[in-house]
Amino acid sequence: MTFTPRGRLINPRLGIFFGIFASGFISLVLLLLMFEQMGIPRHLLSPLMLAGALGAYLVIAFAGITREPIDFFAAGRRVPAVYCGLGIALSTMGATGMACVAGAYFLIGFDAIWIMSGGFAGYVVMAVLLAPFLRKFGAFTLPTYLGRRFDSLNVRIVSAALLAVPTLLVLAAEIGLGAKAVEWLLGRGQWLATAVMVLSVIGGLVFGGMRALTWSGVATGLAAILALIVPVTIVAVLLGYLPLPQLSHGPMIRGIGRSEAIAGIPIVLQTPLGLHLPFDGFQPVFKRIAEPFGAVGPVAYTLATLSVMMGVAAAPWVLPRIATTPGVYEARKALGWACVFFGAMMLTAITIAVFMRDYLMQAVGTSIAAPPDWLRTLVAGRLAEVSTRGNKIGAADIAFDRDSILMALPQAAGLPDVFASLAAIGILAAAFAAASAAALTLASMLSEDIVNGLNWQPPGASIRLTVVRVMLVVVVSFGGVIALMSNGDAFKLLLWALSLTASSAFPVLVASIWWKRVNQYGAFAGIVTGFSVAVLMILASEGGLIELSSVLSAVVAVPAGTFALISVSLLTLPPTRHSLELIRDVRVPGGEILYDREMRILRQKERRR
Amino acid sequence: MIERKERKPYWRHTKWQMLASLIPFLIVLIVLPLYAEGLNHNKFLGFPLGYLLAAHGLFIIALVTVGGFVNRQDAIDHWHGAHEDN
Repeated sequence: MTFTPRGRLINPRLGIFFGIFASGFISLVLLLLMFEQMGIPRHLLSPLMLAGALGAYLVIAFAGITREPIDFFAAGRRVPAVYCGLGIALSTMGATGMACVAGAYFLIGFDAIWIMSGGFAGYVVMAVLLAPFLRKFGAFTLPTYLGRRFDSLNVRIVSAALLAVPTLLVLAAEIGLGAKAVEWLLGRGQWLATAVMVLSVIGGLVFGGMRALTWSGVATGLAAILALIVPVTIVAVLLGYLPLPQLSHGPMIRGIGRSEAIAGIPIVLQTPLGLHLPFDGFQPVFKRIAEPFGAVGPVAYTLATLSVMMGVAAAPWVLPRIATTPGVYEARKALGWACVFFGAMMLTAITIAVFMRDYLMQAVGTSIAAPPDWLRTLVAGRLAEVSTRGNKIGAADIAFDRDSILMALPQAAGLPDVFASLAAIGILAAAFAAASAAALTLASMLSEDIVNGLNWQPPGASIRLTVVRVMLVVVVSFGGVIALMSNGDAFKLLLWALSLTASSAFPVLVASIWWKRVNQYGAFAGIVTGFSVAVLMILASEGGLIELSSVLSAVVAVPAGTFALISVSLLTLPPTRHSLELIRDVRVPGGEILYDREMRILRQKERRR
Repeated sequence: MIERKERKPYWRHTKWQMLASLIPFLIVLIVLPLYAEGLNHNKFLGFPLGYLLAAHGLFIIALVTVGGFVNRQDAIDHWHGAHEDN
């Protein structure tokens, strides 16, 4: 009997290490608070904070240096469920999920909740339908799994090439947002900020890969959670609410509703399929906060929830982290924890938006000659704009920057500047985690499945790691260039990426586990059809050819991909005996990890030759 | 390690558990926000009820679903001897 006690694999001092990190982070913030009270100006403190936080992430990442592929690609398969869940929760949507969702919620209220509910529904679907089986298989990337499962190099290479597109979108979006936060902290140009972001992502990944990503991901997760929760809790206490603002801001919402009625903000109605998302940049609030379906129609709301759900469940930059858990049971549990952390972060982001909306409603109706102090601070800090027509400020006269709501609240509440920097550090942490996850996934897909992908047996450890490290540098630099050149809307990029993964990967992944009849031709057709229909829909929608919003492209693409998958599978030969044996083993949690078994068999064959 | 003749019952059991976890959750996820407007006239903990259920309520339901699934599926694994041996 093999005896592999789970307790010995996992480092028992993880809690202590991250306790030290968290207290170090808190003491850094307290120290800077003291410095600020002593009169040291902001433009000296913010870079200190940036250096402290980024330095800590990078030190943790460097400590994960490794020469073993199993460590580089799967963190040694010994990450406990809680830590894995925290990493997954932070890197699924990253800074986009914090900054843009808070901003969207601030601007369109209830109609932005679908992003949150789609996210945790995605974890539920992933936990039930995919995660335990992918963990049992134990492949390092999604294309490796698909290729091995269908025993087809075509499926492997094509899925790697197609899934690289959404991953690259996420990478560019996160580098862009992270650079925005760095730019705000440093007060220098966009070039320098993007360079800082690109270099730190490369530095964080190139030595340790997934091992570095996991442990620095836990650190960034702690930092992001603290940065989200601490300022809003302090504001809640200052305003006389319980220090659990996520659950105690109810009376505030109803107060906002009353002031909205007095200020005459219209109740807008949207067509059932209409979807109006706030764009990147300054804009006034669009509708009342608690009234549903003014910006997003009811049908569009449901479809968008499902689209985000399928996108998150099949996200190629999330699923490989499942392979880092010590077992199938832990993999399921990790998704539960991811759900907890993701929901907590999102509810906090929403709460911040509600508090900010309350400040906005206080400013509405004041005279333009004497606006509230906080509004002046925000305008001076270029987080808000006031355009005047009459002599009183109306709700439509104040425009806010969508992605800066998290930084605006501490300033509006008159907290010390350090708290605004703390919020920016939180955004940076989330961007760093998500960009690293996307970059590592992209690099390992390109190196494992395309460069080394023509042969099932991977090359020797040193060549394998060199290739993936070179790829990392290339990929992250490329992402940085895209972020710099395109100036795309990060929120839209993320939603497109989720639509693309939902339509290309989700049907195939689910079918590969739950439907025995699917064969390699069906899988190939499903991936290609889903992807191309989604791309066509996005292009047609952005070009104004169809009414449907580009965010909802998965609505057509997922059924199209599923139909192609089913019909082609049924029209071609049934799967081989080898595939059937494999799927039988994937479905049972116990036993050897299948990827390791396959590699061992390949090595034995090689030796016999 | 699982016995050969246990595989079919194990998978049937797993399939039913999957349906039992996902179908109620998906129904609630789709249907609940559509009634938010009507529910908003009521209040709970000071929140408009529709908003509270669509944000916090769905979150709690998701947690209960995952928690229940992890527990039940682990029990199924052990019942059929399909669990990991450590």
